[in-house]
Amino acid sequence: MILHILNRSPGTSLVYRDTLSAMGPEDRLLLTEDGVLGALTSQVRHFQAVQGRLFALREDLVARGLIGRCDETVQVVDVDGFVTLTEEADKTVSWF
Amino acid sequence: MSSPSDANGDLLIILRHAPHGSSWLREGLDAALVAAAFGKSVSLLFQGDGIMALIPGQGAGALGQKGTAATLDMLAMYDIESLYVDASALDRFGMTPDDLQLPALPVDDATISRLIAVHRLILTF
Amino acid sequence: MRYGLLVQGAPYSSQASHSALRFARALIARGHRLESVFFYHDGVYNAARLAAPPQDEPHLIDAWNGLNAEHGTQLQVCIAAALRRGLLDELESARHGKRGHAVESPFELTGLGQLIDLGHEVDRLVTFAP
Repeated sequence: MILHILNRSPGTSLVYRDTLSAMGPEDRLLLTEDGVLGALTSQVRHFQAVQGRLFALREDLVARGLIGRCDETVQVVDVDGFVTLTEEADKTVSWF
Repeated sequence: MSSPSDANGDLLIILRHAPHGSSWLREGLDAALVAAAFGKSVSLLFQGDGIMALIPGQGAGALGQKGTAATLDMLAMYDIESLYVDASALDRFGMTPDDLQLPALPVDDATISRLIAVHRLILTF
Repeated sequence: MRYGLLVQGAPYSSQASHSALRFARALIARGHRLESVFFYHDGVYNAARLAAPPQDEPHLIDAWNGLNAEHGTQLQVCIAAALRRGLLDELESARHGKRGHAVESPFELTGLGQLIDLGHEVDRLVTFAP
């Protein structure tokens, strides 16, 4: 399993498409920084292909006042959870 | 040029930015050359706008700066011969492998995820 | 586990440095070792010793220095990326006939080869980009 880390909003950058197409069937995706905008209920459809393997960083949601708007299909992790995800992955790939 | 199946390499560098607009491409290529000089097996994937690195006929920048076309010519000298290009990006820009200045192998999404899986370290620029 | 970080974003311009520091502290708190942080691209500005942010903002340079002091984390700065951007240490400053210097210990100007070595030595290399 590879952990992909995406810090761009789907509203401003199409890098999320390249990220999704580069992901293997077991890989996980963590949304961080402006990437957490993709976790909102109105945006999460962009990440349908990785449903169940989609994570968002709690601190970045909270800082933006978006924690209550995060879609329920997204698994919210704090920075400790981020570290855990990197422990469980064979490696990480950052997309920006 | 090797096929993705035997590209069990040390380092995959994903180049996602076009020449001239930023230093990402140049600094990514520098990392590739240094890694190769350090004896690592290096593969390059030109993805998204990064495929513009492979367009022939590139010129100098606004102040005469060199760009990256000359660096690409050095790849073979450094034994970097595993060059891959994102097929969907080629398609999106209406280009074919014949339009490119180097023989890069077009790869589909499944192959890109395999490339990421079989290389030990991935750096994106 | 042994970790390395690659920071490519300039401080106070993007969130990259803040995210990297937060992750660094979390991984150390979980008992991992952070061997080195390598600064490349605009990330080299993290080494600017004269950074003087307002007092009510996090002092990123001090935070990096703290990682080094408390945990022995190396702070490696790509020399080619740094020199182009005016980030010279005392030695490079003298060598280029300049007055003053922008980078000092524990930040260390070093070659890109160190990043390649780091990436292959540690168990996980995590990139924080702008």
